Amino acid sequence: MEEKSWWDRFRRTEAFAGYTLISPTALYALLLLVAPLATILAYSFLTDGDSVTRLVWEFTFDNYITTWTQPIYRAVMMRSLSVSMMVTAVTVILAFPVAYYVSFHVAPDRKSLWLFLITIPFWTSYLIRVFLWKVILGYNGVINSGLTSLGLIDEPLTFILYNVNSIVLTLAHAYAPFAILPIFVALEKIDRSLLEAGQDLGESRIMTFWRVTLPLAMPGVVAAVLIVLIPTIGDYVTPQLIGGGKIPMIANLIQSQMLDQDNRPLGSALAVSAMLIVTVVALAFVLLNARFLRVKK
Amino acid sequence: MNTVPHAAPAPIASRPTMIEFRDVHKYYGDYHALRGINATIKAGEFFSLLGPSGCGKTTLLRTIAGFEDISSGAVLIDGKHMADVPANVRPTNMVFQSYAIFPHLTVEQNVGFGLRREGGTSAEKARRVEEALEMVGLKGYGKRAAHALSGGQRQRVALARALILKPKVLLLDEPLSALDKKMREQMQVELIRLQRQVGITFILVTHDQEEALVMSDRIAVMFEGQIAQLADPETLYRRPNSRQVANFIGVMNFLPARVLTEAAGRIAIDVQGLGQTEIDATQAPGAITGGETSVGFRPETLTMLYEGQTTTERETPGTIEEVVYYGDMTYYDVRLDGVDSPVRISMRNVFGRPVLDIGTRTRVAWSAGALVLFR
Repeated sequence: MEEKSWWDRFRRTEAFAGYTLISPTALYALLLLVAPLATILAYSFLTDGDSVTRLVWEFTFDNYITTWTQPIYRAVMMRSLSVSMMVTAVTVILAFPVAYYVSFHVAPDRKSLWLFLITIPFWTSYLIRVFLWKVILGYNGVINSGLTSLGLIDEPLTFILYNVNSIVLTLAHAYAPFAILPIFVALEKIDRSLLEAGQDLGESRIMTFWRVTLPLAMPGVVAAVLIVLIPTIGDYVTPQLIGGGKIPMIANLIQSQMLDQDNRPLGSALAVSAMLIVTVVALAFVLLNARFLRVKK
Repeated sequence: MNTVPHAAPAPIASRPTMIEFRDVHKYYGDYHALRGINATIKAGEFFSLLGPSGCGKTTLLRTIAGFEDISSGAVLIDGKHMADVPANVRPTNMVFQSYAIFPHLTVEQNVGFGLRREGGTSAEKARRVEEALEMVGLKGYGKRAAHALSGGQRQRVALARALILKPKVLLLDEPLSALDKKMREQMQVELIRLQRQVGITFILVTHDQEEALVMSDRIAVMFEGQIAQLADPETLYRRPNSRQVANFIGVMNFLPARVLTEAAGRIAIDVQGLGQTEIDATQAPGAITGGETSVGFRPETLTMLYEGQTTTERETPGTIEEVVYYGDMTYYDVRLDGVDSPVRISMRNVFGRPVLDIGTRTRVAWSAGALVLFR
């Protein structure tokens, strides 16, 4: 009997077929995600050098100590968190009625058209969409010139651009479809007879929404919150363009450390710290909502 | 005898009216779903709406619950017009076809869902939930998650959740259709017991004629948005007023017939294969138009005569064309002499009675009293 090597046997297993199928993606992820992340992690424990040496291969915790003790970094991190939480709150609260309307009030054969329309903003790049808000909100922008020509204001309003509110507005618009879609899916899954049952058992429409629809839509809401919160904490473009660089968020700070200041170890420590904070916030949110996520059909 | 004296329930006709439909019409766009429904349902009655799918029975039930507006006419519950009364304040509760058990709540939270708006301490409410669960045989299941229940258990939770609110009317939308045969038969008996126990008016929607016959005090048979016949189960079975109703409920044989004379409550007819006979006017529940028509008779009203057997009834010769053996029963398709299509005869397989073969010549005994004359 012919003795087969483990490789020959392995080649015939289902696992091998599976690995083969995922290998291009896995390789891609390894090269472009894991490797850079590992590099950043390594950098964050090294010492900054001068403009010639760049990096000194000396292990240190100094970068983390600076990150977590310097008030400026803490302030920017807190701003990133609060902006992204505001964006999340605004986005999800505005997205829910849209998703509800499409799920409950749009005729079934028109739903796909509505979803298609909702995704239209994705047809242009994120950068252009953000820039368009600058055109709308700017000193000589659409709103100001419009109001001036109507004679409603004498001087352009300055409070509508280059502040936190305009950042929140821009990000909320950019992420709206990401919030609408998961909530829509959760609402679609609700058996309509449950809503009739709620009313049949004596509750008004509003109370039925509160006691039946909302709890059953929570998995979608939780997903929407995570999908909006996580990327907005690290958003770079909007604070740069809409905030005019005057209201940096954590990504802007990382960029400036990495490139402008040429302090890669500190920039890396900031990046790793930001990732940790996002992970903790996201996990805490999921745990808080665990009771909604247990619901099975 | 040592039985507990049991007061016979008041006859249905003498009970007060609970629900009244007055010329109810319902349109969905151009589609005429309900076409002039007139009926009254009495208090404490077990009433069934029976018909094929798409006949409007569920729509009619939903007009009582308040989930469906009517286009014209009136629905009254306990003497009150329901036109402007929303579903959540109507004195009705419903058991949905899908049971509509809230998946995010436990069994006791489901059963107690409707108690939020009622007064009483939480201890009192917990006691009522416990009682309701006991009534449907789910004692001790309160803490279970709703999604962990079987079909039959969900059904019981849905029943408890509706009955705990003590509605005047309980609406049941095909509640047994999702259960397997054994479970269905068990739940039929339990529903009858429960209805007698609580004394509430039950309105059941079903497409299963056997279920309707077993459970109901009265049945409304519906076709195409209209009530074809409204009667108690025995009348429906023995005196259907149209071929359509007769076909829908049980098996009915039909033979072409001709009305000869009609006088003094007696009708003389000539039936193909059976010959001339006379029936009572009550055997023609539908209006008679005279001339060419048909008669119907149930398989069990015929008897096959064996060698040497005689009968006091009329008899007609024929040939066995098909034999279907069911264990307790045997069905024979017999072509009577001079008849175009075979008639079905059911015979109980009592001890000592052989099952006959295809092709056997036989004699069939029948009685004029079992015939129903159709338009």
